[in-house]
Formats: sequence, structure tokens, C-alpha cells
Amino acid sequence: MEFKEGKHSILMVSDFFYPNFGGVENHIYLLSQCLLKLGHKVVVMTHAYANRSGVRYMTNGLKVYYAPWKPFLMQNTLPTFYGTLPIIRTILIREKISLVHGHQAFSTLCHEALMHARTMGYKVIFTDHSLYGFSDIGSIHMNKVLQFTLADVSQAICVSHTSKENTVLRSGLPPEKVFVIPNAVDTTMFKPAPERLSMDPIVIVVISRLVYRKGADLLVEVIPEVCHLYPNVRFIIGGDGPKRVRLEEMREKHSLQDRVDMLGAVPHAKVRSVLNSGHIFLNSSLTEAFCIAILEAASCGLLTVSTRVGGVPEVLPDDMIVLAKPDPSDMVHAIKKAIRILPHIDPQEMHRRMKEMYSWHDVAKRTEIVYDRALRCSNQSLLERLPRYLTCGAWAGKLFCLVMIIDFILWRLLQLWQPDSEVEPVPDFKRTELKTEVRK
Amino acid sequence: MSIISNSRFIYVHDNNKHAVDTHHIIAQRSAVKPIVTYLLAILIVAHALFLHLEKGKPVTTVIWSFFFGAVLVKLLIWRPIVKESVIIMPEFGVQLETHYGSGKINRRFIPVSKILKPVLNECVTPVTCCWCLSFLIRDGNELTLVFKKFRPPLKMLVPIWKALCVATDCKESFEFQEDG
Repeated sequence: MEFKEGKHSILMVSDFFYPNFGGVENHIYLLSQCLLKLGHKVVVMTHAYANRSGVRYMTNGLKVYYAPWKPFLMQNTLPTFYGTLPIIRTILIREKISLVHGHQAFSTLCHEALMHARTMGYKVIFTDHSLYGFSDIGSIHMNKVLQFTLADVSQAICVSHTSKENTVLRSGLPPEKVFVIPNAVDTTMFKPAPERLSMDPIVIVVISRLVYRKGADLLVEVIPEVCHLYPNVRFIIGGDGPKRVRLEEMREKHSLQDRVDMLGAVPHAKVRSVLNSGHIFLNSSLTEAFCIAILEAASCGLLTVSTRVGGVPEVLPDDMIVLAKPDPSDMVHAIKKAIRILPHIDPQEMHRRMKEMYSWHDVAKRTEIVYDRALRCSNQSLLERLPRYLTCGAWAGKLFCLVMIIDFILWRLLQLWQPDSEVEPVPDFKRTELKTEVRK
Repeated sequence: MSIISNSRFIYVHDNNKHAVDTHHIIAQRSAVKPIVTYLLAILIVAHALFLHLEKGKPVTTVIWSFFFGAVLVKLLIWRPIVKESVIIMPEFGVQLETHYGSGKINRRFIPVSKILKPVLNECVTPVTCCWCLSFLIRDGNELTLVFKKFRPPLKMLVPIWKALCVATDCKESFEFQEDG
């Protein structure tokens, strides 16, 4: 495949990719597919999952390297600082990569890859998908690592303006370097039911992991209150997690077995059918950088009731969402308002508007602009880059400089051991599309 | 006869004998590396002897230094395998040979009826990526590697793979097809 002018070779790096399912995984996959359609070359690097190790090809020739580094904590590769330098260098040279795009602050592989890519002179981009705190010990350390990685990043992307503010404050990155590109939803997959559901009973759908962060405790307070006020309302709860037990107890205590359905974990392919069985989507997250779940619900024509946290207010227009404080009484009030305005909602119209507002092709085109901007940044030598690390802190700055100097030395030693010319580039395979036969 | 070489391997294709097609991969021998390694080992032993005789360190220091020097020589110079060969006998089968430094030769013969397809696979290790030439064996669960230890570069593997495809009557495909 001959590369046209203006087309890039991108390496996406993250600990989070298929076969794991989630927001970050979906984002990387769909963005990569749209970039491939735009004519760029995309390669993904992640760690090995169970027995899935080595090179795999996905739809449209998306090449994925499952590097045999086993995860050690919450899907993250063991951080060895310099251990991944040889494999990352090999992949960058053999795939003729022009820029490296890392995803998610909580991914150790991402941080290491960005560090090594910068040492070797590649341009790097970082996308932050979540909001993090400032005060607890875990967040303090995470933010320091992020400061280190982002001290020398070419450009950064955040999924909402709130997320941009959070990332800039945590990392000290200049705001001019941060672009805001919201996530999108696959509107061809999330469509409303062809026939509108009857208004009796009114069904409220909740699909989320049942954990503290996603506000499962709020649901325990809100559901009995709403069931008491509205005898014709039913709840469907999809998802699993540590808080499931509390919800089951709530169901038993208030005898709501016939009014609250607990579906357990819902595979991503079945989410649409669960959404299509409801009128209102309830999101009770305590923190959310963007919230793709409410996009999926709106695309299926459901009216959303959500907590006003993080980037949620930026996602949907005011007539598609009712916001509330993360407080049970305020949420009950919001659900009351939603039930009142429900008859005026047209699911097909909502879906049509979502199709116009959000698409992954749009995200890919905007990301392309960020890539072009990153590649126009000047090439800088190690000595020119080191002062950026010194600004990270009195002691941390000097430590980070030392880490980068050692990385540089190790890279040069590696080049002596195995020169760049010895790493064979991978031949680019031609894709031929079979024409489907028209059967008569 | 055609030859391709790089810093680690030499590929020799010998098709002078009409019926049989032979491909050899030979490990390169450097002139400088053994001299430097032996010098380093001698230096380590000499330093240990000096410590023992002049500074009064125990004799175990000298013994450890011998051991360490031997390990260094083995790691950097000693090549257990000097050559791996693929001998293709059309209509009959493929013989895979491994020639050891000690003079021993290990031979494996695979009849052509058992070979489903020769494949070039990309392998990923924790530190690098390489290409492996292997056979898909009929009724077999695993791939059979053509080269036991050597990992020659793709430019040396491709002519061998093409010759194997012709001998085993498989169509080469280096395009991948997708349902439209």
C-alpha cells in the first residue's frame, strides 16, 4: 500500500483493548476503524490476554500486537520502566510508525510507550478518558506519573471540557496543547424500536456496573421512593458488581420483585434490546468524564435522567436529558419531571438528531487535525527536552530527568547491539475485497 | 547458487542437483568477538589471581572468576548450532537438518502428504518480533517449526517458503481477502 501525502502511520497503545469490553476499548477500536477508512495506517499494541498472544488482524486489516507481558493489577502491565523499550522500538521501526497515540492515564503500558517513543524522537499524543481526584494517595501518585508523561507530549486530547480542565490541573499541561474531542456512538447499532412502547407501565432502564463510582447506592434510595409514588412504573437493572447485593436486599425489603427486574451482566451486543424495552434511562454515576451510556440511550430514543457530574451536562441537549444533583430526593424530583414530559418525546426524532450530532467519522476527522498539528511540532534533542521535566517538582523534576537520561543511554546501547537497519520493515499486505455474488 | 547475508546469518541456496533443492542458513562467525571475549575472560581471571596473591583474598575468588569467564565465553561465543538446512525433494518430502558445533547432525523428515501448508508467521516475544517459517501438519495440533533455533530475517525466509509452496503444491497467498 503506497502511502499518500498527508496520511499517517499511527500506533495506538493501551492496556485496555479487545477482548476486554469497555469505553476505552470501544473508543480505540472504532477510532482505528474510521482512521483506516480515511486512508491512514493504524496498528494497536496492548498486552497479552489469557492465551491470546502475538499478532492478530481485526476487521479492515487492523493489526494488533498482543505483547506477551502479563497484566499484574487491574489489567495493567507490570511497570518495569525500561523493560518494554526493546519491543516498542522493534514495533515502531518495523511498522514504519510516524506517531504514537496512548490512551488512558491508568495504563502503565501507555505511559511507558509514550516515554520510549519520545526518547526515540517520535511525536506522541495522549487521550485521557476519565476524571481523577487530587486528594487520595492513589490519585497523588497517578497525577505525578501523568505529569511526567505529559511534560513532553506533543498534543493531548480529552473527551469533554470538564475532562480537559481536570487533566490540565492534574498534569500542569498548557491548555493550548489540549484538544477536546467528544466520544461518539454507533447510531447504526443503537436504533429505537420500530413500534413505540405503550406508556403503561413506564419502564426505567439502568445499565451500569454496580459499583460505588457508578452511584449504585443512590439507586437503593431512589427506586423504592419512585415505586411508591408511581404505581405504574417498573425498573430494569442490567449489570453486575459488588453493590448488586444491596439492590437485591432493597428489592426484598420493599417487596418489589415484580416491579424491579435484575438482569445481571448484559453483553454489549444485547444492550440495544434492553434499552428498547424502556422509556427512560437512569444514570446515577458519581463521576463521569463523558458517559457513552447516555449517548447509547438517547440514540435508542430514551429520555435520560442523570446526575449532574463531570462532563455529563456537555453530552446531550437540554430537551433530551433531565439533570439532578447526586442526591436521592433531587433524583426522585428529576424522575417525576421526566415522567411528566415523556409523552412529548419522539424516539425516532431523537435518534435522527443523535445521528447528526455524533459520529465516529467526525471524531476521526478531528483526531486527524490533532495528528497534523502534532507532526508539525519541532524535533528536539534530549538536552532541549530535559528542562520540561525539571518543572515537575523540586525532587520529582530531577528524578524524571534522570529517568529520561537513562532511557536515552539504554536506547543508544540497544542501537549498538541491534542497529535500526537490522530491524526488517513489515511488508504491507494488499487487501482485496471479494465482490459478493448476486444470487438469483 | 544464490547467497544472501547479514551480520548474523548467511543464506545459501543450492539447486545444482536437479532433483533436490537445498537451502542452508549458516550462523555468521565474527573474527573480533572471540578475541575480545577471551581477552576479557583472561583479564577477569588475572584480576582474581592478583587479588588472591597480593591482597590475600581466598582461593574461591579465583575459582569463581574461572566460572564467570567460562560463562561469558559460552554466552557470547559458543554456538551450539552452526547450520540449519532445508532439503526439498519434490513429490517425496522435506528433510530438515540441524548441524551442531560438536559435529552432531539432527535430521527430521516430513513426507509431502503430511504437509498441509508452509506458513510464515509473525512471532512476538517480550523483547522483539521475528518471523518464523513453519508447517501446518495434517491431523496435527501444533505448528512444526522449520528452523529449530535460528530466526533468520524475512528476506532469507521468503525464497525458502516459495520453494516449499511449489513443492507441496500450495498456492502462495500474500494478500488477505475479506468478504465484501
